[in-house]
Amino acid sequence: MAAFPSLAAPGSVVVSDWHRCKESKEFFSKILQKMRRKNFGLLESPVMPPHAAVDTVDYKVFLTGKSGVGKTSLAARLAGLSVPKVHYETTGIEVSVIYWPVKLRDSGRVLFFRLQLWDCGDNASRRFDHLLPSCKEQVDAVLFLFSFTDRTSFDDLSNQITKWTEPSVCHIVKVVVGTKYDLFMHCDVTERDVQDFQETWRLPLLRVGGEVSEGLGDVAPVLNCLAEQLWHQDCIAAGSTCRQTREKTVTLI
Amino acid sequence: MMLQDGSTQLLCLTATSGVPLFTRGASRQLPFSIIGSLNGVHMFGGGQEVVLSSCETEGGGKVVWRVFHDSVMLIAVSGSGHGGAGSGKEKEAHLQRLLENVWNCMVLVLGEEELVNIRNVERLKRDLRSCFNLIDQLLEEKQEGILGNLTHCADSLLPPNPSLVQAAVDGFTQAADSEFGCLLVHGRMVSATEKWWRLAPQEIVLLAALMRTLSASGSSSCDYPVFLPHGSPTVAHRLLRFQLLPGADVCVLCGPTPSLQRAQSGLVVRFWAPLAETLRECLTVGGRCLPASVSLHPDVLAFLLINRETRRSISCVLCSHTTTKPSAAPVLSNGRCWELLKLFYNFSITRYFSQEETLCASQDESAQRNTTEEFVRGFTHQPLQCYLVTEECKSYGLQTAQHQLFLLVPPSVPTFALRTVATQTLTDIVTATGF
Ligand SMILES: Nc1nc2c(ncn2[C@@H]2O[C@H](COP(=O)(O)OP(=O)(O)OP(=O)(O)O)[C@@H](O)[C@H]2O)c(=O)[nH]1
Ligand SMILES: [Mg+2]
Repeated sequence: MAAFPSLAAPGSVVVSDWHRCKESKEFFSKILQKMRRKNFGLLESPVMPPHAAVDTVDYKVFLTGKSGVGKTSLAARLAGLSVPKVHYETTGIEVSVIYWPVKLRDSGRVLFFRLQLWDCGDNASRRFDHLLPSCKEQVDAVLFLFSFTDRTSFDDLSNQITKWTEPSVCHIVKVVVGTKYDLFMHCDVTERDVQDFQETWRLPLLRVGGEVSEGLGDVAPVLNCLAEQLWHQDCIAAGSTCRQTREKTVTLI
Repeated sequence: MMLQDGSTQLLCLTATSGVPLFTRGASRQLPFSIIGSLNGVHMFGGGQEVVLSSCETEGGGKVVWRVFHDSVMLIAVSGSGHGGAGSGKEKEAHLQRLLENVWNCMVLVLGEEELVNIRNVERLKRDLRSCFNLIDQLLEEKQEGILGNLTHCADSLLPPNPSLVQAAVDGFTQAADSEFGCLLVHGRMVSATEKWWRLAPQEIVLLAALMRTLSASGSSSCDYPVFLPHGSPTVAHRLLRFQLLPGADVCVLCGPTPSLQRAQSGLVVRFWAPLAETLRECLTVGGRCLPASVSLHPDVLAFLLINRETRRSISCVLCSHTTTKPSAAPVLSNGRCWELLKLFYNFSITRYFSQEETLCASQDESAQRNTTEEFVRGFTHQPLQCYLVTEECKSYGLQTAQHQLFLLVPPSVPTFALRTVATQTLTDIVTATGF
């Protein structure tokens, strides 16, 4: 689609599976605590020793999709928390902050991505007008969610994505996530459907589902993909406006 | 005698036509025919100009009805549990309170308008689902150490450094264009602006419950539309919540500004980064609710202290206690201690002491409360202290103009010493903290 920025090919910008490399340990250890993901308050952030300090880049990511599709679950999963068993509607906006170390392929430079995931309850967003504008304000990426067990959520994707193709928002990174991939018995969306969709839209599409596992293997593909597209988009933006660099480094304490 | 468990089921119907809106609680749902009868018997009473507010089954079960704004009927059905003499009254009071809290939850999330003028039942049913998270928590009552739903007092934690925290809460709230702000640590209120304390007690407790839910979800910040059941039932405000450190949350009630993003990026670090150490100190106070500098009588197993004027409470269970005396009675678990504390509170309040009149007690509720008042009026004096001895523990209640204290000690403590332990505990805490 012409309305979209160019895509970075998977693994072309960031080192995929970097979390498996030995040299990444000292960085990933900063986001772990007793083998589990560390929960950071807003006053905290991963702190590297002075000689190994790296920059942190901050991005706002908006999660959208119909009620029950799994937005809150995805945010929890990416933050390393347990996924809620029952569906309780989110009745407002909840923001989760996730730190993720990334190694850039070209320069070998390491960065901490600080991803703010903005999760807004679908029904709440209809009841209260001010929620969506707040989510969309200065957003860097949108995650479009559909559920493999809910055909209508998949069919609605095109509508959703079209809303983000206008010139003012077309530069925003777009990634599609299919949830409940583990419930293959109830699968309502075929691989063929997914292929057709990808040919039309040419957006990265990721599949998630199942119990949250211990390691980082589950979340790495999603977080690396997001980081890759975000960084790629930033480089394009910096190129076109020459000197625009991302000054979003966060205050540390 | 005062001990009961058994699960509670909650039914919600339209008051005029008896259409079921939702049911929550208890794994085994009541059959539709019974729900219909429960509604029918209440309606029948209505036809005879009788308000049916509660009844007891032979096996010790309890049913409590309440209609809100002639629009929504809530029914609580509670299993028999241990039953036994005298358990009915406490249970009824407890269920009445539950219904009131559930209604307030519904208003908090949906606003009064939609609940009072039902235009489209199907739509209301759908919208009510958004209240289930809070309602289920009220039914489960699984959060140990939180008694606010029962006492309608704010569960509090007394920090080592109150004035520093207060200044930060005040400053942050003002910068967020608000007058209503508070700081929660481990889900308990540490500090709040003056205006926050002027919200209705039920609202303070309800907002705290919402903030605990949000905090438990692990998110870093939230922007939640909330109606205030008493202060603003038809116009929503925004509850902004920020997780400063895991376990420490600051909240403000705002109008249209500032945006969540602006508050988070522009204000949170500016106001709170200098207080990170102070916040960590608050976190270390933990479940004890009191700074380590306050020492308590060694016999205290658990206590609940209420300040009747400020409507705040502190409570804690000192679990380490029982393990020191191997010969003593069977060790009480933490959970059981909390349960006993709640039961003793309910026991004292429904029989001897009075619960502070909440601002907006409905007619139903004050009618129900009259039974206590009648009893209390039967005396020529106001009971100031009461005690209860059971196999598991001894309990002592004490009330002054300013405070109510509920205390549990092990059965090994002689009964004549209870009063001394209680008065000393009250003095210890109040002198050290000014609570
Ligand atoms: N098996 C399985 N269940 C999932 C998955 N993701 C979400 N769920 C379940 O789907 C239900 C709804 O998920 P939520 O994340 O609460 O839905 P939501 O999109 O946030 O919904 P709203 O807040 O109402 O907009 C929950 O019961 C989850 O347990 C998944 O990947 N696999
Ligand atoms: Mg949700």
